[in-house]
Amino acid sequence: MTHVLVPVAILEGGTVSSGLVNLLSTMDVTVLGYHVLPEQTPPDQARAQFEDRANEALDDLTEEFRSAGGEAYHRLVFTQNRQQTIDRIADETSARAYAITGTTGPVDNVLVSLAGDTDATQIVEFVVELIGDRPIEVTLFIADGDVASDDSLATATEQLSAAGIETTTRVAEGNTFDALIDAVAGHDAVVMGERAPSLSSLLFGEEADRVAAASVGPVLVVRSSAAAADADDSDDNDT
Amino acid sequence: MASEELGQNIEGERPDIEQTVETDDATVTKTAELERTIGLSGGLAIGIGTMIGAGIFVFPGLAAGEAGPAAALSFAIGGVVALLVALPTSELATAMPKSGGGYYFISRGLGTLPGAVVGLSLWFGLVFATAFYLVGFGYYAVDALGVAGIAIGEWLVIPVAVAVGAGFTLLNVTGTENAAKLQNGVVALLLSILIFFLGFGLLDAIGIVGEPSAPETFAPRGTLPIFTVAALVFTSYLGFAQVATVAGEMKDPGRTLPMAMVGSVVIVTVLYVVTILVATSAFGAERLAEEGETAMVAVGRDLLGPAGAFAIVFGGLLATMSSANASILSTSRAIYAVSKDAILPGWASRINLKYGTPHVALGMAGGPILLLTATGQVEILAEVASFLHLIMYALMCVALIALRRDEPEWYDPEFRVPGYPAVPILGAVASFALILLMNRLSQIIGLAIMLGTAGWYFYYARDVTLRGAL
Repeated sequence: MTHVLVPVAILEGGTVSSGLVNLLSTMDVTVLGYHVLPEQTPPDQARAQFEDRANEALDDLTEEFRSAGGEAYHRLVFTQNRQQTIDRIADETSARAYAITGTTGPVDNVLVSLAGDTDATQIVEFVVELIGDRPIEVTLFIADGDVASDDSLATATEQLSAAGIETTTRVAEGNTFDALIDAVAGHDAVVMGERAPSLSSLLFGEEADRVAAASVGPVLVVRSSAAAADADDSDDNDT
Repeated sequence: MASEELGQNIEGERPDIEQTVETDDATVTKTAELERTIGLSGGLAIGIGTMIGAGIFVFPGLAAGEAGPAAALSFAIGGVVALLVALPTSELATAMPKSGGGYYFISRGLGTLPGAVVGLSLWFGLVFATAFYLVGFGYYAVDALGVAGIAIGEWLVIPVAVAVGAGFTLLNVTGTENAAKLQNGVVALLLSILIFFLGFGLLDAIGIVGEPSAPETFAPRGTLPIFTVAALVFTSYLGFAQVATVAGEMKDPGRTLPMAMVGSVVIVTVLYVVTILVATSAFGAERLAEEGETAMVAVGRDLLGPAGAFAIVFGGLLATMSSANASILSTSRAIYAVSKDAILPGWASRINLKYGTPHVALGMAGGPILLLTATGQVEILAEVASFLHLIMYALMCVALIALRRDEPEWYDPEFRVPGYPAVPILGAVASFALILLMNRLSQIIGLAIMLGTAGWYFYYARDVTLRGAL
């Protein structure tokens, strides 16, 4: 089964809403409990003091995912760099996507963003598998003026309807990011692609994090295979 | 090793030793992982950032006063000794990539008593070093006011130093912003200022720009001062071993640790030697000596006018600040390392959940630092700091030899010292030799601290066994 990583700030009261647990019941899940430390603190020092408490909380969370459906595992990491940890564990578990947890009730509809320079085929494949035969509706979000948008939209709609998923389309007008935030309203969860680092992600933070901050619900970020392949390459170089 | 075999301290606490698997990206224990987040540039920034403050911005005046232009040679000697120790330290650090640095290597390689003496002495050594950097900062702060046109006497040096020391301690307890990136930027900025300044100074020294300056006797007081000054200025090289205290957090430690340690020693040695050459050729050793702790400001003014003075004052403030802050952090790590092994009470390494910082250890660093800063004794502070570090350096070389003679099964360093056994033997001998060249008072204080730590071991942690306890 496809693997999804669910990072949780485990010692800061981070939890996973029941809506997300149920949404991911078609997937294998690794709950990544992380605790970010300031540089004054050696991670080992925090481990000695907090790991028991953290592992107890992680056990409970993992059990929730397991009873919802798929296999569930957990990892506990003390780190000074959250994104580096998420990327590493995602690579090690070959996760197709990672979740930014948010609060939501039962998920009835999902906003799937194909805007920008992302691999639409991969995102759609993931969504088809995620939804399975459940009656969850999809809204495809496409940027206006994307050269590839017509083609990829057609293919995406075809794939989704072949899987029996009810699909509507929404085309962005004006600023793509603002339009995406507008479109999030009325949806219970967002699926989007991982973007290559850019000037704007450097200035404003990762797009997915900004979407998550602007919407209340969870965001699933489908990892780009290019990024995964890069990571594999660098691992090969190291060894 | 089962925890019963490790013994316990007087309060019944046992060393907290976990079975771990080390990868390039993380340390994996049975139930948790510790991410390695510091890369090569971060490691170099820790090494260079800790070292550069003292050697360039505090010592030139003092050193030139005692040894004349030959002070450049003193710095070179210090650099060679540092390199002789940095190589064995690199090997030990790649074999045991754990936080704790020198203390860890010695307690595992030689046993609990030498380990406890070094670990606790390192705490005090870093306290002395931090106080020294803070006093240096005080001098620069007063000079900065002078450059800005506000002339205030030197009486302000100590209050400023103490206030800044208290401020840093507090910031480290409450600050959760990641200052590591800032440290990298500070070091990069410092290096640019220095390279520009030294480049110009070198051109001036060979007589291409500016007025030709009169050459003077290279070693006006003979050869002995060259060596005693080397002992004094060795404080400028204490930073490389601080890289080893974050060994547990460095990515790909087998490669980055040796590069960061050896690289930072080589870079600062070159900068120090060139700085002294430029400073003595611009000014002459005697005038440098008159200018005292902030002689470099006068050199900057001489070479580049007010802008030069401003650049040096600014650089001096940054450099002494970054040295002081890096040392406060190392002190807290040194305390954590011994506390984890039950040589100090376990509460010393408590973390508060609100800020995620080790507030007890930071307090145990900050308190004594403020007391010592208040004494304002630059040379004694520097020498005692060097004394306590040099003991550790010598014993690390000894530990390396002990481990190599009878290699335990777990001993598998990725980096092996070239020129074994000559390099570690020379490193140990040179470290002891520098100690013998120090002021009598510094030696007495240093010895007293070591005896005190040994006494603590016999009282508190006699039954703890750490040799080979990984």
